[in-house]
Amino acid sequence: MSGGHVKLESLTKRFDDVTAVDEISVEVQAGEFFSLLGASGCGKTTTLRMVAGFEPPSSGKILLDGTDVGNWAPHRRNVNTVFQSYALFPFLTVAENVAFGLKYKSVPKSERDSRVSEALEMVQLSGYEKRRPNQLSGGQQQRVALARALVLRPSVLLLDEPLGALDAKLRRTLQVELGALQKQVGITFLYVTHDQEEALTMSDRLAVMNRGRIAQLGTPEEVYNEPADAFVADFLGVSNLMDAQVEPGGNGKECCQLRLGDFILEAKAGELDAKGAVKLAIRPERINLEPYETRGVNCVPGMVERLVFLGSTTHIYVRLATGSALQALVRNGGDPVAYTQGTPVSVGLPADALRVLPDPGVSAAAIRDETLGEQLLDVTSAAPSAS
Amino acid sequence: MASVTGDPVTTSPPESAQYASRGRARGNPWRRPWAMEGFTWLYIIWSIVPIAIAVLFSFNKGASQATWQGFSTKWYVGRGVTSVLHNPSLHHAVIQTIVLAVLTTVICVPIGVGFAIGIDRWRTRTANGLNFVMIFSFVIPELLLAVALFLLVTQGLTFIKLGTPAEVAGLVVWNLSWPAIIVRARLVSIGRHYEEAAADLGASRFGAIRRVLLPLLMPAIFASAVLVFASTVDDFVIVEQVSSTANTQPMSVLIYSNVHGGLSGPALNALATIMLVISLIAALVGFVGYKWLSRGERTKGDVEALTAVAGI
Repeated sequence: MSGGHVKLESLTKRFDDVTAVDEISVEVQAGEFFSLLGASGCGKTTTLRMVAGFEPPSSGKILLDGTDVGNWAPHRRNVNTVFQSYALFPFLTVAENVAFGLKYKSVPKSERDSRVSEALEMVQLSGYEKRRPNQLSGGQQQRVALARALVLRPSVLLLDEPLGALDAKLRRTLQVELGALQKQVGITFLYVTHDQEEALTMSDRLAVMNRGRIAQLGTPEEVYNEPADAFVADFLGVSNLMDAQVEPGGNGKECCQLRLGDFILEAKAGELDAKGAVKLAIRPERINLEPYETRGVNCVPGMVERLVFLGSTTHIYVRLATGSALQALVRNGGDPVAYTQGTPVSVGLPADALRVLPDPGVSAAAIRDETLGEQLLDVTSAAPSAS
Repeated sequence: MASVTGDPVTTSPPESAQYASRGRARGNPWRRPWAMEGFTWLYIIWSIVPIAIAVLFSFNKGASQATWQGFSTKWYVGRGVTSVLHNPSLHHAVIQTIVLAVLTTVICVPIGVGFAIGIDRWRTRTANGLNFVMIFSFVIPELLLAVALFLLVTQGLTFIKLGTPAEVAGLVVWNLSWPAIIVRARLVSIGRHYEEAAADLGASRFGAIRRVLLPLLMPAIFASAVLVFASTVDDFVIVEQVSSTANTQPMSVLIYSNVHGGLSGPALNALATIMLVISLIAALVGFVGYKWLSRGERTKGDVEALTAVAGI
């Protein structure tokens, strides 16, 4: 259980003429919960498979506690994988599945049994030893897969979308459990997911991947609050993106003046020294809706287009006078939401919440909609995007 | 529409009645499919009755294959007549058939399984070529293979003697497609995940095949073994060409060579019945065994077992 330090150096994987993973370099500390987040086809699973040993890297190094294991066979690496499909052996019982890998470690028979029951206890499946995988629910199978990997006490546990096949409610429960389990065992977790909520809630740090490269690497707070570019901003939850032009007025350090249609806005976050065409991003929860004709800095007139009630909050879709469509998130407190469709409002965009981002030239929305379209965001894609 | 003035339709009964009458004319979709059912029964009768009659006359008291003279098992076990048990050439044929079936199955299935795993893993142009060879025996006439084999063992590879060695060699080649195709189909449906999981948990390549892949392939291996066995019991063309003495003639050859003279009579029916029963038992064992071996998997058990045993 010692170690668990993973270092990827310019790791690259090419399949024929497709570059799935393009020179990524990451350092994961021992005992860290590290996520690779990205849409399908971004190279996150290929990266994980290279660490596991199922794919040889085209170039670059995989250093596991300082040793380059890039060309080692999977069974020689002290890492274990939890597969998306679980891959539990159907002809073995739960206990036999968990004990499978112990036969290759020099563990005496007596200790084997105690380790199996210990691992099953850890995933709260004591008493299920004699069952077969097909007699278990999806969530239970997932736990068996976890126990089967953890019983070997690997230095790194690789998880390939382990919650992908479960329903939303179970996924939430297991997210919490998995996070707690990782803290308990102290093993490095390398977690692959396309679900930004999963990545944000569980990880110590995460890397957002796009087209085989790492778009941003940081803590969940950093990545969410200070996205490096429009892709990351958009991929991590709903982000309102607007096309704007940098005006010469700002000082380039604390404040940046931008033109959005006929309006001049001030921004105090992001790349304040940018020039020319940029993207402006603001989180829905930071938008203030004021009564119409309220004046002030960064107030833009708009109109409510649509309201979506989400229980504790309401999403309000606003169309600005400049043509941009934005989403505002309003908490449902005691007062009922005073807006209806067609209400003119004044949209306040606080300067410290307005973030200037370099224009990546790729529509993140297009990539995001591919994978996350089924989530609550499908209303957004119906509204014309700012780009 | 009914509302159009002067339209003749307006004078006809209300719409619901119209639908009802059309329903009678075009048929209730849930009615009993008489035509289909009748045709199915005709087909079953057509294919089973001749066999049933042949089986029935193996129990005839008299020596006739056409006139029923009462029930008896003397053509199977009787003394003083040419019964299967006491006529040396008849019971030799039964033994020879079983020996050939067992030997062929034991040799053919492991080769076929290895062939399937190899071709599935070795993805090159050569492998694709071999893939075609795998379906060879479905394409070429069996007689061609039999004649070629005869020439080979009499002119070329004379160390393979006519009789049992040549028969087994021919049957193995002819039946190799069964395990190769059935096992390969299962390999494709299993995917690589289980093997990857085994390797991930510490199994070497060979260990993963032995501890994970083979158990998963077991239903297919078993089904193909049953098919090879049953198909060998039924085989005639190859064994007829390369059998040598009367001692190496299996049941099919003996029946064929005696049906127009020689040892005719209900004893031949008895021999054919034994052949049929062996094949039926093999199919039954295959069906039950496949279901048992693939228990614990979420599949349409019955249909899959049936198709596997039928060799689809």
